[in-house]
Order: sequence, then C-alpha cells, then structure tokens
Amino acid sequence: MHSWTQRLLAAATTAVVLLAAVCAAASALDAFHVPAVQAQAHVTKINRFHKQINGNNKVTLTFNLSANLESVFTWNTKQVFVFLTAEYENAKNSLNQISLWDYIIPDKEHANLQVVAKSKYPLIDQGSSLRGKKVQFVLHWYVMPNAGAMIQDRMALSEFKLPDAYTS
Amino acid sequence: MDWQGQKRAEMLMQVLLVAAAVAAFLVGYLRGDFQLMLLVYAGGVVLTALVTVPNWPFFNRNPLKWLDADEAERHPRPQVTAAGAAAGGKKKSGKNK
Repeated sequence: MHSWTQRLLAAATTAVVLLAAVCAAASALDAFHVPAVQAQAHVTKINRFHKQINGNNKVTLTFNLSANLESVFTWNTKQVFVFLTAEYENAKNSLNQISLWDYIIPDKEHANLQVVAKSKYPLIDQGSSLRGKKVQFVLHWYVMPNAGAMIQDRMALSEFKLPDAYTS
Repeated sequence: MDWQGQKRAEMLMQVLLVAAAVAAFLVGYLRGDFQLMLLVYAGGVVLTALVTVPNWPFFNRNPLKWLDADEAERHPRPQVTAAGAAAGGKKKSGKNK
C-alpha cells in the first residue's frame, strides 16, 4: 500500500470487521447459557376496586414480589427489563394482560429483587368483568445484550381472586 | 516505503489486528467484562496503527534505485514528428504534453 492514508484506511476497515466478528462471537456464546429464575408474588391488599364513570373496572393493589434473576446475566448482558403482569380471561377477550409494575435491572448485583409495592400502573379492564375474577400474576423479563438479539422470557406465578363486590 | 516494506506492513497489520481481537475476546470472556474486551481491542488497534501506518525506516530496507536527474537528462523523452502530429493530432490534444 503506497501511502500512509491507504494503510490507515485498510487498518481501520479490518479493525471494524474484526470488531463485528468479536461481538458476534460474544453473542453466540450466550446460546449456551441456561438461566434458572426463582420468583414468587402475592397480593397483600386490594387498595381500591371500583367502576369508573366510563364503565371500566379499575383496581389498585399492593403486592410483594421476590424474584432472583441473577442467573439471567452473562458478561454480554447490558440490562434486564422486568415487569409483572396480571392476566385473566373474560367474555370479550381470551387473554387480557395488564402490566402492573416494571423495573430496569442494570447489573447482576441488583438482580435479586425483594419488592413490596403498590401497583405502578392500575389494573384497568375494558368493561366491567373483574368482580370475582381469577387473575394470574406473570413475571416477564427482556434480556438486552451488549451485542446480539434481545431475549424474552416469562414465568407464571400465583393466582388470586378479586373481590365479588366493589370496595369503594 | 519500498515494495517489500509495503508487503510487510500489510502482513503485520492483519496479524496484529487478529491477535488483538483474539486476545481481547479471551481477556473479556475470562474476566466476564464486555467493556474490558472493547478496551483491550481498542488498545490493540492503536498499537497496530502506530506500527504499520507511519513510514518507519525498517520498512525501507530494500530501497528502490531511482534514476538521478543528470542521468535522466541524457535520455530525453521521444519527440513526436510533425507528420505524425498532424495525423494523430486530434487524439493527442488534451493529454499532457
């Protein structure tokens, strides 16, 4: 290569291609990683259960959640987005899925969650089918790697039954 | 740089970059630190650039023997004859004289 600019360009191009190869290798190794998540969630209190003016049911509740997501992290993990949903069935939809709470786990040290919280987002139904309804807690997590595709996974947790009558 | 030097520079560039990539991956994997891998690799890239890009003397060990000015004057460029210029004049115009 005749001039220093040509050599610099060749080196830069090769460096970028090898960087892509290294990141691909890091991502490929993740395929061999098998996480083992333990989690539990329970409702401690139904704060408010009423029918809104527009006819929709609204529930705010307090729950405790313990979830250990440490095994989900690899050296290639940037962060894990975890959220808790309430899932139930009604006459209108075979699956209703409402997110009650979410959290971004930045690293392994923060991955052992012990949370007692009021629902961040209320449980609002499309209609008023929630009286006496059996609802299941499901924990979802999205693993965002430094290099590679995002992985989604979920785990069904305990069920609970909403009161038969509105509380307020 | 001479021709041999250019060949050496290119070979060194490829070898050093691959070595930097492999070393960076191993260090990052064994320490479980993605950012460390990137830092080691960046260091390797800078090192490679410092070794292969500038015109170091050790790349010029087989220097080319250029003709010096006096010798060049004794062998002037062939001149085109008048008849030839008329016939091929259209083609030649626009090129360097």
